[in-house]
Amino acid sequence: MRNRFAALFAIALVAASSLASSAGARRQANPLTIYAAASLTEVFSSFDRAQRYNFAGSNALETQIRNGAPADVFASAAPLNTQRLFQARMVDKPVTFTSNRLVLIVPRSNPAGIHSVYDLKRKPVKLVIAGAAVPVGGYTRTVLRKMGLTSVLSKVVSQESDVKAVTGKVALGQADAGFVYATDARPVRTQVSVIRIPAWAQPRIRYEIAVVSRSSHKAAARAWVKKILSPRGQRALRNAGFLPIPKASR
Amino acid sequence: MNFYRVLGSAPNETRLELVNRRRFLLSSAGVSAAVLGGPWVGAATAASEDDLAFANFGVSAEFLLKDFYSKALVGKKFRGPRANVLRQGRMAATKHARTLSNLLVSFGDTPPLDQDFEFAWPRRTFSSAPATVKTGLIVLRALLGTYQSAAATASVVDYRILYASLGASIGEQIGALSALAEPVGAKSFPVATDVETASAAIETYLG
Repeated sequence: MRNRFAALFAIALVAASSLASSAGARRQANPLTIYAAASLTEVFSSFDRAQRYNFAGSNALETQIRNGAPADVFASAAPLNTQRLFQARMVDKPVTFTSNRLVLIVPRSNPAGIHSVYDLKRKPVKLVIAGAAVPVGGYTRTVLRKMGLTSVLSKVVSQESDVKAVTGKVALGQADAGFVYATDARPVRTQVSVIRIPAWAQPRIRYEIAVVSRSSHKAAARAWVKKILSPRGQRALRNAGFLPIPKASR
Repeated sequence: MNFYRVLGSAPNETRLELVNRRRFLLSSAGVSAAVLGGPWVGAATAASEDDLAFANFGVSAEFLLKDFYSKALVGKKFRGPRANVLRQGRMAATKHARTLSNLLVSFGDTPPLDQDFEFAWPRRTFSSAPATVKTGLIVLRALLGTYQSAAATASVVDYRILYASLGASIGEQIGALSALAEPVGAKSFPVATDVETASAAIETYLG
């Protein structure tokens, strides 16, 4: 009798473990497809390596989702992109999950001698920024307007499609200065110097995340969004230099 | 040209009321109708770069000042009529911030909210009356210098009148706050500063 119980227990254990491993295998075989703002590249990739990511400018990702791209989750660097998709019923209700700050970066060698944002007006510089439709490009223009420095837009030599392209150009010394998120300056800190933008001139940067309505893995997608909002997810974002969910969005 | 007044202060409550230029300035700066009836009223121009910078910096610094007065009151180093100086200062900062927010809205801009800031006061700022006054004066002088510059250089006479009024109020606050600790004589010619210099002076507190 005792031996029969032991045998049954062993069979149950094997069955349970094989079920679990097949579930694990299924999860590996069907990772979620997450469309995320380029500025989330490092933090999302290291937070959860099991998923499939598509990082780009949020405006480009919005267009792709609108055109039927097979995304499960959309994480945008600006509410505008998620809210537009929400209005079109293409994503579930978006939630704010983090925030950021804008900074000015210059190459380590700083050939143009830029030490303050105001130097952009005083000195001849080759400035690189993101396009107006890209969230970081919109935030850049807001900063310049708030500081009364819109005239420096005449010194822009290149408008990029996402923040990583701006960071790359400055890090490689192809431009004298560029506006990026503080979190994008971190991975290239040996190649660039960071110049703070005053708090009063900072734009209201809000990242939003939403489950894509057409996703065929909605339960898993919702669980992933929850994971980002969980203390562990928020800690990962903070460790990468992102700011907590702003007071006004709580 | 239409102007809009911000009615709510919470982010989800912001409502705009259509007001005309004359009513906006009358209620904002308290300047007389006779003055506003001058020939330049109605000669609306687009905001200059400096106009935008003065207003944006002004709103943020007034929020900072409001926070300073609130924390100074909580610190309880000032009682009775001395505490009233802080209350009146807080009320003035609130009104100034609202007025400048309305000005930004009239420029077509989104004004900042006090919730946008995480003000950072050094640990011992409110530990004693002299320490409190010292920090308050740094913020007030930065604002006074900026308002002086704005009163001299703003693109439209209406705005110059507004900034002159704001500067006078800040000057009064400097006198009242100084008297709470170590009374000092009034400066004959307070120095006008640009936004860059004023910003650097208070940047550590703005967070």
